[in-house]
Amino acid sequence: MMRRLLFNLMVWSAVLIVAFPLFWMVVTSLKPQLELWARPPAFLPVEPTFEHYITLLRETNFLVYFRNSIFLSTATTLVVIGVATLGAYSLVRFTYRGRESLAMLVLFTYLLPSVVLILPLYLMMVQLGLANTLFSLVLAYTTFALPYALWLLRSFMAGIPQDLESAALVDGASRMGAFRDVIFPQLLPGIISTALFTFILSWNEYLFALVLVNSDESRPLTTGVMNMLISSFNIEWSLLMAASVMMSVPLIIAFAFLQKYLTRGFGAGAVKG
Amino acid sequence: MSRSPQALLERRYARLGLLLIAPTIVVFCAVIVYPLLAAIYLSLFQLYTPTLEGSFVGISNYRDLLARGEFWISLRNTLVWTAGTLSLQIVLGIGMALMLHQAVWFRSLARSLILFPYFVSTVVAVLVWRWLFNDLYGILNHMLIGSGAVDMPVDYLGSMPNAMISMILVGAWKYFPFVVIAVLARLQTIPDTLYEAARIDGAGPVARFFDVTLPQLRDVLVVIILLRAIWDFKEFDLIFLLTGGGPVISTQTLPLLVYKEAFALNQMGMAAAYAVVMMAIMLVFMVVYIRRTREKDAS
Amino acid sequence: MHNDHDIGGTHSRRTLLKALIAAAAAGSLPLRARAQRTELRWWTPQGAPAQLDAYRYQIAAFEALHPGVSVVLEPLSDEGYAPQLAAAFSSGQVPDVVTHLPSFSVQSYYAKGLVEPFDDVIEAIGPDDFYPGANDVFRAADGRHVACGIGNSAVNILWLRTDIMQRVGLERAPETWDEFRSALQKLQGRGIYGTALPYGRNTATSLVFIGFIHGAGGQVFTPDLEVAIDSEATRNALEFYREIRDFSPIGATNYSWGEGLTAFVSGATATGLYTGRVLTNINEQNPRLSDHITCALWPRLSRDIPPWTFNDFPSVCIPAQSRHKDLARRLAAFLFEPEGYIRQLHAAPGHVLPVLQSISEDPRYLDNAIIRKYRKETDLMAEAAASGFNLGYESSAHRSNEKAGEVIASGAIADMVQRVVLNRENVDRVLADTTRAIAAVMAR
Repeated sequence: MMRRLLFNLMVWSAVLIVAFPLFWMVVTSLKPQLELWARPPAFLPVEPTFEHYITLLRETNFLVYFRNSIFLSTATTLVVIGVATLGAYSLVRFTYRGRESLAMLVLFTYLLPSVVLILPLYLMMVQLGLANTLFSLVLAYTTFALPYALWLLRSFMAGIPQDLESAALVDGASRMGAFRDVIFPQLLPGIISTALFTFILSWNEYLFALVLVNSDESRPLTTGVMNMLISSFNIEWSLLMAASVMMSVPLIIAFAFLQKYLTRGFGAGAVKG
Repeated sequence: MSRSPQALLERRYARLGLLLIAPTIVVFCAVIVYPLLAAIYLSLFQLYTPTLEGSFVGISNYRDLLARGEFWISLRNTLVWTAGTLSLQIVLGIGMALMLHQAVWFRSLARSLILFPYFVSTVVAVLVWRWLFNDLYGILNHMLIGSGAVDMPVDYLGSMPNAMISMILVGAWKYFPFVVIAVLARLQTIPDTLYEAARIDGAGPVARFFDVTLPQLRDVLVVIILLRAIWDFKEFDLIFLLTGGGPVISTQTLPLLVYKEAFALNQMGMAAAYAVVMMAIMLVFMVVYIRRTREKDAS
Repeated sequence: MHNDHDIGGTHSRRTLLKALIAAAAAGSLPLRARAQRTELRWWTPQGAPAQLDAYRYQIAAFEALHPGVSVVLEPLSDEGYAPQLAAAFSSGQVPDVVTHLPSFSVQSYYAKGLVEPFDDVIEAIGPDDFYPGANDVFRAADGRHVACGIGNSAVNILWLRTDIMQRVGLERAPETWDEFRSALQKLQGRGIYGTALPYGRNTATSLVFIGFIHGAGGQVFTPDLEVAIDSEATRNALEFYREIRDFSPIGATNYSWGEGLTAFVSGATATGLYTGRVLTNINEQNPRLSDHITCALWPRLSRDIPPWTFNDFPSVCIPAQSRHKDLARRLAAFLFEPEGYIRQLHAAPGHVLPVLQSISEDPRYLDNAIIRKYRKETDLMAEAAASGFNLGYESSAHRSNEKAGEVIASGAIADMVQRVVLNRENVDRVLADTTRAIAAVMAR
């Protein structure tokens, strides 16, 4: 009994330490500007206020940025998952020449630091007439989400036993039919895990969003919020903390919702390198 | 080429296989390969970034780069940073996953909170950490002084080795949830029978971890370590915003050099050269790593 | 798909690209002509909510005067505008007006032909209305102006806590380094630091220290832009900067602008180095100090040396590839119309100071709580800023240095400060290394 208590306390202490900056952010966002720099630092606001949230929602384009980020991350996730699932299926269940090299090549492209990709990519977007649109960001985010989604999904799929699929094939199903009816349901948790990571990646990305999209109407949250609230001579701390809380909360809610799929997911496949 | 129905079927399947991987290839060629080749191409020039105009210089960018002391120091820093933060991410990730695998009060909430560092944007996370580390109004120093552990505030970011250690810790904090999720999921599929058998054999918890859990986790860990190592090696935002590479250049890593060349010094060609060298280094590590894990797999 | 086969290299690739863009633009032209609607894009890295309001007011007024024209405001990142502008210039997708870039950035773009000469606009605004010499920093090698200032900032202003000064018996602001040192000794105590200077590896350290070099009577470049940082003056400045290190908090080794500002505003230090931003922040974040602050010019080595104020001269300029240059010029000039301009200034009172003398005396400008309360301070800052300098223009005798931005960004000066002050390395060697590093940037 004692051991259970101690164990729980230990775990929750660790969790609270890790999540401490979140509490700090929330607490700061509820403090009026007067209390920001109290020495010694106060943990709780003396006079909590929602004014910063209200300012953000009413007087800035925060909601526009939010809408753009939702669209951007969802679209990227759908594209990446769609392409990567099919690709992973191909790499794991089919044999053709160059299969291993393709997998390696995919990972190889992942090695390039994105800073040097930016200008050539931007020029390409201009040529395609996609400059300054969210769609260009969707394409760009595919550059770093795809290799990693492909490798992860490949691991999951390798762990799904082949017998069920063979049975379906013997019964006369086509390869794609077998995929749809047999593999896909088992892969679903793995897909959701990869989807979550892809979503977070596009939600938080900054440098590409900075360069590829300049129009305020199409801007996602990261650059919208940063450009507005951070300048070299001044940081609007209260608004920034409120904005960050609002940026993190949807992810936390989505995760709480998807949690059971997620943890069921990864394990379902023993990963073969 | 045999014309048996078997072979025909296989060839048709092979074609389907290629078809399935085709979208990936198309996306790659269009979106990744072109800029990548462009970047390698640009590294042979000396270019003024805002106009991308300049002259061909061949490999002299590479020659300059390798002769610079700053490059080698940054490489060393990058390796120290990557090794440090990666090990912490793995160890803490596994540890936390083991803990959250047990029955804990409000376990779902705990798992959501653990994921918070990974959710929050790097820029905001670093700003908040700088605030927490601050010597005048940061809560960390406040608590340390209050508890009597130190009597002067600690300079977390402005002196060595504090700066590198702080950086490694913040990096671990930010990215270890990725490992937690991966390991946690894998843990749930390890059959209890294996643990039972070990317990019957008289193995204690530590022995059970090393003999049952760890081997089962191995495959996930191999991929996770690879992906995270590449990501940590390339990390820019966190280091740039936290220490700027300082004090002097003791926390400067290669990605910071690439950005500095590209946009601060307006030398896109040189930046591309740095990037290509970075890729080459990572490639060497990656090939060695994959070979060794394949050998272990086979044995 | 575009292929990179040409051996002519970047040049013909760019030509092909330009041709493609021109074709695309031409293709969309008939649509434009039909709609009769011109769109101007205005980029600025100063996009805090209060400032955006002011800009929107000006945009509405401008659009009312010019039917068929719409102005789109697109805020940039203040820390990251370099890649954004690089992308814009290299692709030809440029805005029509860019405001608030520091003077040395614009000079560097002008030198590469990316920015239009600005003399017409200055004429339209009224060249005599500007503070005398305020636009010299924008004069390029060919004698034309590359931009004009839209708001001045006096960056290295000495802020003082009058209550602490009174308590320790300090009667007036220190004017020389000796006076400053002894003032700091008196002011520090009772948990309050003397000051909060930046010693981190960042641009704040570089820029502040350049001020100290000039405070010692030195310079980074000669008027002909030879590197002159290895001098007696620099050694004096380094020595002094090291001496007063203990008067700044421990964490100053990582301080940048924000930390210094907050240290003073929160009451942790008795003096501070900052722009007029202090005024708004104190009134919003720590009002009990609002009656106890004043400012003065930053001290220099001795009274023989004139005070040197750092002003990054936020500017307004027009990219050369803009497709609506006439309208852009009109918009640029319109930004100085009193009604709108005063709103811009009121969005950051004391921090963004007027460049036009008429505005400084305009009762509408003076009708602002902060400016009224701190009239003396704002006047001081406005004058100091107008006759200020920066690394791109170190004195009125200096040629304009279009590589100043890159010298700062290379970190050579911040590195020098850290190596000598923090690591206690040998000054001669460090100065030799720094000279070489700066010369390398200039030579590229």
